[in-house]
Amino acid sequence: MSAVAPVPGAAPPASAPAAGREQAPAPGEGQGPGQRHGRGPGPAHARGRLTPWLYLAPALLVLGGLLAYPVWQLGLISVLEYTQAQVSGGEPTSFQGLANYAELFSDAQFWDVLVATVLFAAACVLGTLAVGCALAVLLTRVRAVPRLLLMLAALGAWATPAVTGSTVWVFLFDADFGPVNRVLGLGDFSWTYGRMSAFALVFLEVVWCSFPLVMVTVYAGIRAIPAEVLEAAALDGASHWRTWRSVTTPMLRPILLVVTIQSVIWDFKIFTQIYVMTGGGGIAGQNLVLNVYAYQKAFASSQYSLGSAIGVVMLLLLLGVTLVYLRLLRRKGEEL
Amino acid sequence: MTGAGAGAGAAVPRGRSRRRLRVRPWRLAAEGTAVAVALVVAFPLYWMVLSALKPAGEVRSAHPVPWTANPTLDAFRRVFGQQDFGRYFLNSLLVAGTVVIASALVAFLAATAVTRFRFRFRTTLLILFLVAQMVPVEALTIPMFFLMRDVGALNSLLSLMLPHLAFSLPFAVWMLRGFVKAVPDTLEEAALIDGASRTRFLWQILFPLVFPGLVATSVFSFISTWNDFLFAKSFIISATENSTLPMALLVFFDAETPDWGGVMAASTVMTLPVLVFFVLVHRRLVSGLGGAVKE
Amino acid sequence: MAVRTAAPLAALALAGTLLAGCAPSTSGGGPQKDEKSGTLRVWLFREVGNGPKERVVDGVVRSFEKRHKGVRVDVRYIPVDSRAEKIKGAFNDPSSAPDVIEYGNTDTAGYVENGGLADVSAEFADWPQARDVDPTAKTSVTVGGKVYGAPLFVGVRALYYRTDVFRELDVEVPRTLGEVADAARRIRQERPGMYGLAVGGAYTYGAMPFIWAHGGQLAVKKKDGTYTSAVGSADAKRGIAAYTGLFGDDNCPAAKCARMGGNENVEAFAAGKAGMVVAGDFNRQAVDDGEVKGDYDVVPLPGRKRGSIAPAFAGGNNVGVLKSSSHRTLAVALMKDLAGKDTQRRLFDAMGFLPTFTDTRRQAAKKEPFVEPFVETLDAGTEFVPATPGWAEIDAGQVLPTMFQQIAGKKRGVDAAADEAARKMDEAFAE
Repeated sequence: MSAVAPVPGAAPPASAPAAGREQAPAPGEGQGPGQRHGRGPGPAHARGRLTPWLYLAPALLVLGGLLAYPVWQLGLISVLEYTQAQVSGGEPTSFQGLANYAELFSDAQFWDVLVATVLFAAACVLGTLAVGCALAVLLTRVRAVPRLLLMLAALGAWATPAVTGSTVWVFLFDADFGPVNRVLGLGDFSWTYGRMSAFALVFLEVVWCSFPLVMVTVYAGIRAIPAEVLEAAALDGASHWRTWRSVTTPMLRPILLVVTIQSVIWDFKIFTQIYVMTGGGGIAGQNLVLNVYAYQKAFASSQYSLGSAIGVVMLLLLLGVTLVYLRLLRRKGEEL
Repeated sequence: MTGAGAGAGAAVPRGRSRRRLRVRPWRLAAEGTAVAVALVVAFPLYWMVLSALKPAGEVRSAHPVPWTANPTLDAFRRVFGQQDFGRYFLNSLLVAGTVVIASALVAFLAATAVTRFRFRFRTTLLILFLVAQMVPVEALTIPMFFLMRDVGALNSLLSLMLPHLAFSLPFAVWMLRGFVKAVPDTLEEAALIDGASRTRFLWQILFPLVFPGLVATSVFSFISTWNDFLFAKSFIISATENSTLPMALLVFFDAETPDWGGVMAASTVMTLPVLVFFVLVHRRLVSGLGGAVKE
Repeated sequence: MAVRTAAPLAALALAGTLLAGCAPSTSGGGPQKDEKSGTLRVWLFREVGNGPKERVVDGVVRSFEKRHKGVRVDVRYIPVDSRAEKIKGAFNDPSSAPDVIEYGNTDTAGYVENGGLADVSAEFADWPQARDVDPTAKTSVTVGGKVYGAPLFVGVRALYYRTDVFRELDVEVPRTLGEVADAARRIRQERPGMYGLAVGGAYTYGAMPFIWAHGGQLAVKKKDGTYTSAVGSADAKRGIAAYTGLFGDDNCPAAKCARMGGNENVEAFAAGKAGMVVAGDFNRQAVDDGEVKGDYDVVPLPGRKRGSIAPAFAGGNNVGVLKSSSHRTLAVALMKDLAGKDTQRRLFDAMGFLPTFTDTRRQAAKKEPFVEPFVETLDAGTEFVPATPGWAEIDAGQVLPTMFQQIAGKKRGVDAAADEAARKMDEAFAE
């Protein structure tokens, strides 16, 4: 973290001409929209090299202090024997090497659960993004009243505590006491009995409670596009579709990027919905996902070492997915 | 509602009116869809409120009708009758409010740094921000617990504010990045040429411009803080007077004898403030303050 | 090149020192003083309708404070569902820890293992009232021969049945487990919209009596004090087969019943969807809120032979003293007050909690006929889960529900599923 060190005169000069970030790689040529609204290299401004760190300081302080340390401990605990007896009973901790990982990887169920988690999370991410984006666009095409109605409904879904939302959905789809089966004429079909139908039900609830975030942020993104940019496009004679494709979408990309990455992270770690809706992982564990598995195997019985090992595995997996995703974007000319 | 504005077209120049006419059926279809989707999305919420109002025996009954002949406020009475309920409510407001404001300010600064400056470790830093979210929170609570204990924050509202601030920040920074990025550089140049200081540009020009993004991230941090159970359970141990609302909801989730009416009533009470909060800020989101650019 | 190899080495060395010096926090440290004044902190569970409980406890506290000058008792009510985190917090940060806690009796072994509960064997032995504590309740505070608290109340399950349905179909109240199954099938046949006996693949406490009634055990204690699983034994398997045989279209279809837990069973019965259910004394309110109010009665769940009662699981809560308490003598005194006969009597009147003292319980049954079948069940002898921390892991890992669900869903036979469960249990016991 010594990037700050070589700065000569610490204080950020107000107007001395310098090449700050502008020497950075120019964004994709031929991608067109870049130049028009200034994502490209603009005229240089003075930028003290300390300024960004100054702006970052509060965030780094909070994140470094509150998250870096626990994550470091997580790695440490995963190679130790560390249960509640060690935490509170004063029993000595002992170094286990990779034993916790070996235990995890040798469990056949772990691999089943991992595959199910990846597939289920992928479905949830795609479903959430598709619904969220479609409705965000829809919001821009309607007048105030329907817009407010949809927004409030979505906000309500988002704001409902996950455990309550899950409970209500199970009630609605209950074979004996739920209205949905009656309306759909499904008789006493049990949604939670089959593996696929149980996952499908949870999928619906997950999309229900997570599309609002995508919708609201993407909508905010569309709203934040300066009017003159759109006007300029219109004056240039660009069609509706073209404006959308070459002006709006590129400006939304950073927002889509973050909702995608975040959705991947959240949906991969899904817990409450599965736990509540399938009764802790479904009939004979058929609907287990990694986080619920971790809870049942480790956290519920205070086996923190094994739990931390699972956590580290999840961390590496998600980090890998994120990096691959960012790399793919960069190859397509998208910069971070 | 949907039929409004039919006659308005007459006054506008011909070219535009033709366009409008062509668009209208589409808009009607769009508005119809929006309302229909809103109804579907709201139905589980309706069911929640309805279950809160039904007498205990009707919540899980073989006749699941979407109404009740004997509405009762008993469940709400059980919620409000809990020891210290008002206190929990205030605690929740205080924690969520602090987290929202702090995370908006801190994230805005950080987002500006990573977007409008280039420096080493910029990308790495952005990715590192996310790392803590990639592990199960249960795994982090133990080390966080000791951290809170060692800084003496345990049992105080600070022990909820700090972790939630830390967990809302990464998303907020990433999110605001997109909004800061969308503000044209030309604007900054113009401002600086006009003699504005960077600080002035930051707070008086950039900040209002990214407001829609701030609204979106604020709603996010509000909701995730407001609805948190795990930290509320783990970090407020002996000082129950510092508990937050989810603890009042938890009482009704008894494994052997859950009180569904109480669950639904408490959840309704918890969901309402979020909607109120949203209605208060949503005008900012809708108007987007995009107008500031025009001047 | 040299730098390159040096860096990882340095990192390793650093990791080594950190492992030694900066290992994850622990918070050992045994008890210290035994102060005779100051504040006693108490955690009790916050029930849904907590008012009456608070009033009883307030009475106990007032009289305790009057008898002990200079002592203040600070009672906090915590949601049952937050107990795991709160207790862990209390173990990890002694300064936040209470002196006296109420805890679920299945948690006893885990809390003892974690070094949280104080051994009160001596005080318990000297306590005159302790002689009337019923044996299973005493088992539920005992780990490895030592006593770690006083039983506060007991919860037990019996057979609820629909008097109107039984009358209309002219079915006799069953007196053996076989008759329960016959009656269940008969009801299902005549009333296709109803389950005969509501059963649940996740309803472990409802299924256990079937295992015990057939002479089976969950686990047996070996001479060295460790446990070994017994669900793979022939007797246990017969019981498992008897219970899982009730899943099917002729009683409770697996598609709906395999996922059910105890509460879902009770809800089905309360809504008039079941002819019988195994449910607890604590489920009375839920049933009375439903549509079957006035149309049901309760009898002990019968055993395999006529006149016998299937051993039930004795759940309930205990009151214990934390090891970290600096007011041990006072805390034990308060524990006795809170779990004493007088308080238990008042708690029964206020909350319906069944007393753990046999004599107090009999008086309660006289006052309130509803609890009679439950008291009968308790008097016939009850069973408890293995008193070892491994049980928490087995419970959290849903070992037994998985077994029942596999068999109910016809994914596995009784033998294979039970042997697998036994293997998993032994793994947990071994840790």
